Amino acid sequence: MNYQAIRAAVENPLLTAFGSLSPAVPVFFDNITAVPANTTTEYVRVNVTFGITNEATLTSSVDNARGAVVIRVFTEKGKGPARNQTLLTTAVNVLETLNNTAKTNSGVFFRVGDINGPTFSATEDAPMFMGRIDTGYVATVIS
Amino acid sequence: MASRDIKFLVKDLKKATIEGARTACVKIMNDLVKAGPAYSGDFSASWYALAPGKAAGGPRSSTGLYNYTLRNVPKTKFKEAGLYTIVNTSSYANEALDLVPYSRPTEELEERKNLGKNIDVGGRSPGNTRGQITGDGGATSSAPADWWSTFGVGGGLDKSLKKGFIRGFLTFGKAQGFGS
Repeated sequence: MNYQAIRAAVENPLLTAFGSLSPAVPVFFDNITAVPANTTTEYVRVNVTFGITNEATLTSSVDNARGAVVIRVFTEKGKGPARNQTLLTTAVNVLETLNNTAKTNSGVFFRVGDINGPTFSATEDAPMFMGRIDTGYVATVIS
Repeated sequence: MASRDIKFLVKDLKKATIEGARTACVKIMNDLVKAGPAYSGDFSASWYALAPGKAAGGPRSSTGLYNYTLRNVPKTKFKEAGLYTIVNTSSYANEALDLVPYSRPTEELEERKNLGKNIDVGGRSPGNTRGQITGDGGATSSAPADWWSTFGVGGGLDKSLKKGFIRGFLTFGKAQGFGS
């Protein structure tokens, strides 16, 4: 099992997609503490979690993992959802592209399921407007 | 050897399916209690399995982590579309499920009960969810960040559903003379 390769399979394309925007939007991943407190600048947070590894019934391969990808987009509060939704679309496009990528002879074969959301919240305590999507994934490490 | 007339087959299959679904609900709710956060035990006692068209009841009292049994899952008829919906009626469910940023409670909290959970202690910046604890600070979290999403789409729910359903279906089937 190569958890790092699985994580990279989804994190790298997201980082590239948000980095290619003009202006680039910073993306923060698990165990990155650099999101500034009380920031008013938009950013994206991506959390990849692992659920079940090597579920025997999933495929003929035993080197597989299931989990969740949670993407939260933070944009300016009080300005409507348009900008947030635009950035969420970037994330959804990346997930769709992953699903359209052909299986190769090596590396990680990564597929996401239904995408839940987006849901939005702008609570009093939170400095930013948050849009959230999540999806399950199945990843197979091909060696 | 036990036997049963074939004319009961459809009726028995329907009943076994409902028992399978009820047992699956029990298994899922207990696994949600195990996977989710707990501070006072109230959140763990707020899961409801609802039959189609039915509403959840009031809050249950709990002195610890709630243990669900078949008594918590009402019997239903097979003819309605869908069998059960599992919901949590706690007023802070969305925060407990990491769906919205954490908000500090307005009322003073009791001291955290020792409910056998691993407690992470650290800082929670404004805008972070319940489980997003990093660095130094006095915030606490008793379940990993995004535990709900991980359970729901990461394989845990499927596993609980499968195990619970098979257990309930087979228990009913055996009682009716199948598989003897």
